[in-house]
Amino acid sequence: MYRPKMPAWKRVLMIIAMVIATVWLIFPFYWAVITSLKKPADVFKLSFIPFVQFQPTLENWRTELTLRTKEVVRGLSTSFIVAVSAAAIALAIGTLAGYGLARFRYQRWKNRDIAMWILSQRFLPPAATVIPFFLMMRKFGLIDTPLALILVNVTFTIPFTVMILRDAFGELPLELEESALVDGCTPFQTLVWIALPLVAPALVSAAIISFAFTWNEFLFAFILTYSQATPMTVVIAGTQDTQGVQFWYVSTRMLMAVIPPTILAMAIQRYIVRGLTLGAVKG
Amino acid sequence: MAIRTRDKDRSRILFIAPAILWLLTFTLFPLLYSLYLSLHGSRFLRVTHFVGLENYRMVLTDYRFWQAFRVTLTFVVVDVIATTFIGLLLALLFNNPIKGIRLFRTLSTIPLLAAPVAIGYICMIIFYEEGGPINNLLVALGMNGINWISHPFWAKVAVCIADVWQWAPFAFMVLLAALQSVPDEMYEAAVLDTVSSWQTFIHITLPMIRHALVTVVLLRTVEAFKIFDIPFALTNGGPGLATRTLTFNVYTTGLRDQNLGEATAISFLLVIIMLTATFVFFRIYRSEYE
Repeated sequence: MYRPKMPAWKRVLMIIAMVIATVWLIFPFYWAVITSLKKPADVFKLSFIPFVQFQPTLENWRTELTLRTKEVVRGLSTSFIVAVSAAAIALAIGTLAGYGLARFRYQRWKNRDIAMWILSQRFLPPAATVIPFFLMMRKFGLIDTPLALILVNVTFTIPFTVMILRDAFGELPLELEESALVDGCTPFQTLVWIALPLVAPALVSAAIISFAFTWNEFLFAFILTYSQATPMTVVIAGTQDTQGVQFWYVSTRMLMAVIPPTILAMAIQRYIVRGLTLGAVKG
Repeated sequence: MAIRTRDKDRSRILFIAPAILWLLTFTLFPLLYSLYLSLHGSRFLRVTHFVGLENYRMVLTDYRFWQAFRVTLTFVVVDVIATTFIGLLLALLFNNPIKGIRLFRTLSTIPLLAAPVAIGYICMIIFYEEGGPINNLLVALGMNGINWISHPFWAKVAVCIADVWQWAPFAFMVLLAALQSVPDEMYEAAVLDTVSSWQTFIHITLPMIRHALVTVVLLRTVEAFKIFDIPFALTNGGPGLATRTLTFNVYTTGLRDQNLGEATAISFLLVIIMLTATFVFFRIYRSEYE
């Protein structure tokens, strides 16, 4: 990147600004981590540095993971089951639709319009469907089951998988697929054997984005579950109600809820801009 | 780019059918059901009789709806302006050959996929009035603590800070990606012409990243209208109704007060507001990029 040479004072100002930006970015996580390591008596004191300003302890984590195992483990495993299943279904549906939109020309309804219609699902506020969805799930006896959460989250993540995969397939050269078709493959076989392996990175990023959105979803989870199928987001919301303001436990749970998707996010850094803008901006 | 297949239309339809059927079942059907509910009365979560537009009339004359409307709009405007502005500043700052860009970019992905409800709770700890780090710091500096949770204005500020904290990195990453795709020759030419850096920004950088800017504003507008998790966790909609958004109102009216008709009427009004906002945007968006 070309830039004229900067004077020294400008460079120093810039570095200061960068340090401030970095501190601002990591402060909440840092605070959550040290709060989870503080004794209750230390939580409300202004102390930032473990060992120097306060004696860190693993007591909160130990209590959380031994005495309250049931709730936490159920929360984490429900989140995991729901997020993996929803991501898998959304990915399967999105792969098919993405390939169809990238490779075929639909007659009755133009490709563009189908894509826009699928994309527009992302613009619909979840509040618009939460009440009918609640009533539907109640009718089918699916309240407080992981299945209800899977159904709703697949719906929310389909736009991501379709758009990401449509873009990925659209960028592949046609020749390989054409020769496969000439050799007698059906379009479906061509998709599975020829095109699919070539879009592996897009598949992974679509899967991770779906996983993370499902893992983080709160409104529907809060309304559709209450005891047996509460995912981690609902478990952290319940911490406050049942035990008052116990920040040391809030912070352990919040970390457990935040860590899995954020680690995955770092793994797909290169694709995340593209994924989250539904293909509008190439990262 | 289209591929020719032997068996024509039939099998092609099968590729998009699952997606379309899924969305018809789980979005279009609930939406129609919602419309039906909004035109009926209800008792104990059961539909009773047709009431026409009565629910809408009740909602539109209810101060709580207008309060939530104002709150939501405030959050949308503040969130969109602040995230875009801060994101742009960060992107310009980090679009320099200085060490540490990569690390900052990696750190920026963290808030993007962190659960908003978890962020709301961690911010509740940070903004806590008696013994939270911010107020402790203010007191240590000899100032008064701020009533982050119990004062209507500061509660809104706290929610906005939490929301902007989560989404400014998104704007940053999108805009940085756009900035990095501006070819160097553009800047070199500008430097040869001895144009000031402000003019370089206005005449070269800004037009080149316009598409990315519009995308950020559009996506943030749409997402900000849905805001619920952060005020739920951070302030629980309070104090009073100060941070109760439209989505929050749908939840309290429909499931806490069990008034299905009015709740679905609010949700439909929310859809109409959002559709209007996105329609206006798409008009601008389309006319610029096609």
